[in-house]
Amino acid sequence: MRAYTIFKAVTKNWIRSRSGLFFSILFPVLLLLVFGTIFGGIGGSSRSNIFVQNLDRNTSNGKPTDLSTAFIEALNETETFAIKDVPPDANATSYARNALGPLGGNMRILIISQGFQEDLLNGTLKVRVGISYSTLNMSYQYFEPHLNDTQKAAYQQGLDQMQQFDASLPERQASLTVMLDQSDQSAAIIKNIIASIASAFNYQLIGAKNVVQLNETSVTTTQFSNIDFYLPGVTAAFIMTNGIIALTANTTEFKRRGIIKRFSITPLSKTDWILGNVLSQTLLNLMLTAIMIALGWLIFNVRVIPDALSLLLIFLGSIMFSGIGMTLSGLVKDVEAASAIGNAIAFPMMFLSGTYFPLEITPSYIQTIAKVLPLTYFSEGLRYAMIYKYPEGIYTNMAIVATLAVAFIIIGSLLTRWQEK
Amino acid sequence: MSKPVVEVDSLIKQYEKLKAVDDISFQVFEGEVFAFLGPNGAGKTTTVEILECIRPLTSRSARVFGYDVTKKDEAKEIKKRIGVLPQEFSALDKLTVKENIDLIGDMYDKHLDVTDVIKLLDLEDKTNERFENLSGGLKQRVGVAAALISDPQLVFLDEPTTGLDPKARREVWAVIENLKKLDKTVFLTTHYMEEAQILADRVAIIDKGKIVVIGSPQELISQHGGLKMLVIRKGDKELASMLQEKYGQTTLNGAGDVLVKIDDVNEFWRVMATLTEMKMNKDIEIQTPTIEDVFLKVVGARITDEGELKK
Repeated sequence: MRAYTIFKAVTKNWIRSRSGLFFSILFPVLLLLVFGTIFGGIGGSSRSNIFVQNLDRNTSNGKPTDLSTAFIEALNETETFAIKDVPPDANATSYARNALGPLGGNMRILIISQGFQEDLLNGTLKVRVGISYSTLNMSYQYFEPHLNDTQKAAYQQGLDQMQQFDASLPERQASLTVMLDQSDQSAAIIKNIIASIASAFNYQLIGAKNVVQLNETSVTTTQFSNIDFYLPGVTAAFIMTNGIIALTANTTEFKRRGIIKRFSITPLSKTDWILGNVLSQTLLNLMLTAIMIALGWLIFNVRVIPDALSLLLIFLGSIMFSGIGMTLSGLVKDVEAASAIGNAIAFPMMFLSGTYFPLEITPSYIQTIAKVLPLTYFSEGLRYAMIYKYPEGIYTNMAIVATLAVAFIIIGSLLTRWQEK
Repeated sequence: MSKPVVEVDSLIKQYEKLKAVDDISFQVFEGEVFAFLGPNGAGKTTTVEILECIRPLTSRSARVFGYDVTKKDEAKEIKKRIGVLPQEFSALDKLTVKENIDLIGDMYDKHLDVTDVIKLLDLEDKTNERFENLSGGLKQRVGVAAALISDPQLVFLDEPTTGLDPKARREVWAVIENLKKLDKTVFLTTHYMEEAQILADRVAIIDKGKIVVIGSPQELISQHGGLKMLVIRKGDKELASMLQEKYGQTTLNGAGDVLVKIDDVNEFWRVMATLTEMKMNKDIEIQTPTIEDVFLKVVGARITDEGELKK
């Protein structure tokens, strides 16, 4: 009951503090908005810009040819590119540079050469004739022992005529020019996509079918966007900062001002004091999670839904980081030192625990460091619980978080002084 | 005499090489205002915190309401019965006066009505004011209110007026005098002589962890305060020499005042008769010794406003 009274008072004190509210709730929300805008597609398309200059025009009316138009449509259907037309009479590079404006951005230009359609048709016809000749020739070789001389002569004549026709066709290849920045990290991907479309065009025109089919299935049951994947990480990171930075600073300040001593003189027990503070932190973190997810739903159309396991994990994570906060405040005396130590621990942990980017892409030594950071298990567990719904991942991480929560609460309690020396 | 609520017997508190409290013994009786008077570092707060069960003692015993402060279960009983205004009282900044007092009250099984306590401390106008917006004096009054909310039998007030301006200090004194009227036992620590003399029924002067003297202010003054002083404003050297020759114990101070120490009423009238014969038209006043004189006599130094000893 007394723990509940402390919980109410500490929570009320925090809710009325503008700076507390800013750093615990508004700052994480602002960061989510920034992340969401960058990765969630707010304020414009998330497709990559590409400038396309189509020089292949009908001489009669100046309109783009059918095949060049089809190629651009195929490019558009990949849903990868935001295509920007470059007029045929413009210098493509200058035009793209002007269009990108002073802020720049990666310059990606595709030029469809004049004669693209004609070269493509001629090239395709030559390929088709070549394939037909080769097929007939193989048939002839196979059936030759069963043919009489007249039949052989007729076959031979047909093959000769076909060879002559093939030789009469010009060697033509449709030409596409791709211009990319050396520094563009997406250059290789863009080049491959364009090459794939060109190959598909080749196959289509010669009437070939794909014999190898690539089937793609998502490992998640729901269609998630990038922001869905960031949301659990960002939430976990700020539950961590609320415990390690905010709780450490608040508790140290309470200690410095004699507030903890004032309560220790009353019949309130240390356990009730700790419980009240941990409950307050948990409520704050649940509020933070609820606000982040509500904003995600409203603004970024996120689909992650925290279930009972996620809430349990958030509860355990809150206890774990509250325990770390209490441990730190038990070790330092002044508020400045508490803030400095809290920041020195929280910020590297935030970036080394795979909350903002997958650990797989980091060097091996960072992956080793991540293994000893509590946030790694908390954010990974939260991601498993909120997105993948992968029980083994959830329970393993939850077990680690629960163990650390118990350990740090015990250490923090021992270091919380309820009696002077 | 009333029964003792605090009994301290040869109490020692040792920190490595420093003996903060050095073998002190005293009792505080029900209904009295008992003052611990001494400079910073004398051992006042250490003793009080031992009695509040938040600091362990090194040796011998201390009992409050008959309960041993060193025993965990008995400490709980003590905490239920005491109210405390700690040194440099502070509370949750964003909570109001009422919320803060109520919060402390809720730590006890039963407590007084918070509105009554607010009224008692004359804090009605500030009931819904946040703690952070209060002046130093008002904050101390909230601290006293928080100390009284549990309706304690014994109230510890640790340096209740330190850092306050004279007006705020007198406001707190009024509150303590009110506690006396409510028959509360008050254990006051202070380094202000005047505070101890005005408020306390008994004073213990403590220095370097030891109690130097203990008694009522009147007893201490009569035993250690020295003689009363007749002060003749703007006298001169001749007058001082003449009075010295006739009565002895006469000095001329830097301000030009002639100071004559007088043993009794007869001597006072003799000096007055001499001055009348001389048709001396001077301002005359009688200075009685104070606790400050007692302190100077027994400790050999004065205490500055900041609580430091000054030889």
